[in-house]
Amino acid sequence: MVSAKQLIEENNRKREELTPENEKYYGDLLIYIRLQLTLSEQQSEEVLMELLDHLLEGQKENKTAEEMFGGDPKAFADEIIRQLPKEEKRNMIPFITRIVIMLAGIQLVINGIGLPLWIHFQKPIPDFYPVTAAINFCISLLYIAFAMWYVLLSLKKTLFSGDTKRNNIIFYLKIYLGVCLFLAISILTDKFMPKIGPSFSYPWWLPLISGVLCLGIYYLWGKAAKT
Amino acid sequence: MSRSQLLKGILDGCVLAVIEKEPVYGYILSKKLQETGLLDISEGTLYPVLLRLQKNGWIRGEMRPSDTGPSRKYYELTETGKAALDEITAEWQQISEPVNLLLKGRNSDGIRETAN
Repeated sequence: MVSAKQLIEENNRKREELTPENEKYYGDLLIYIRLQLTLSEQQSEEVLMELLDHLLEGQKENKTAEEMFGGDPKAFADEIIRQLPKEEKRNMIPFITRIVIMLAGIQLVINGIGLPLWIHFQKPIPDFYPVTAAINFCISLLYIAFAMWYVLLSLKKTLFSGDTKRNNIIFYLKIYLGVCLFLAISILTDKFMPKIGPSFSYPWWLPLISGVLCLGIYYLWGKAAKT
Repeated sequence: MSRSQLLKGILDGCVLAVIEKEPVYGYILSKKLQETGLLDISEGTLYPVLLRLQKNGWIRGEMRPSDTGPSRKYYELTETGKAALDEITAEWQQISEPVNLLLKGRNSDGIRETAN
C-alpha cells in the first residue's frame, strides 16, 4: 500500500516529465480533483497517479492528453469525481478539529499580544464573558467555512479556461474583498454583540499562554499525523 | 434497458474479462482492449469505468511498486466481480445470438425481397 503522501511526492516528481501542453491539461485536472475536499484523498491521489502514468506512456507514442482523455477536461474530471468515493467522516473530524484549534490559537495570541498595550494605556482589562466569546468565535468559524467554500468555488472557475491572467486578477480581487468583509464583520460583532452570561476577570498573560498552547497542540498533532 | 445502459453493461463486461485473465494496470488494460479491436474505448471512458467497478466491489485495485520502479495500480477481479462477469456473459449471449442472426440474415432477405 502506497500512502497518499508518497503518491503526492511521486506525482510532483513525475509531472516534470510532461510536455507543456499536457502539463496544462493535467495540471488543471489535478487541482480540480484535489479541490474536492469531501472525496477520499487516497482514492483521488491513486486515480491522479494512474492518469499521470497513462499520459507519460502516451507521450512516448506522441499522443496528447486531449487525444487520450477527450477535448473537454472538465467533463472528464466531473465524470471521475462522480465515481470517486467520499472521504470517511472519521478522517474528516480530526482534520476539522485541528483547524478549529489553530484558529482559536491565533485569535488568543492576537488578543494576548493586544492586552499589554491595553495595560500600557492604563485601561482596565475588560472582563471575560465566556458565552459572548463563544458566540463570537462560532460566527467567525462560520464565516471562515463560508470563505473557504467560496475560495474553492472561485478557484475551480479559474481552471480549464484559456484566459488565465484575467481570471487570476478577478480571483485575487475576490479574496481581497473577502478579507475586508471579514475584518468588518469581526469588528462589528465585537462592538455590537451584547455581553451576556457570567463574567470574570483574568490576568493579562492568560490568553497569550492558552493561545500558544493551542498552536503547540496544533503543531504537534500535525507532526504526529504525518508519521 | 436504455441504449447507454446496454453499452455500459457491455463495457463493464469487456473490462472485467481482460482483468479476469491477469491483474493489469490502466495503461495495459487500455492497450489490451484496443488490441482486441475495441478502438472506441478511449482512456477517457476507461478510468471512470474502473472507478465505478471498484465502487461496486467487482474489482480491487492495489497500488504496488512495479519492477521498473514507479508504483502502479493493479486491478484484480473479486468474487462478486466474477459472478457479475458470468451474468453479463450469459446476458450478452442471449442477446448477441439472435441479434447476429437477424442482422446477418438481413442482406440475403433483402435480396430475396427484391427478387420477388
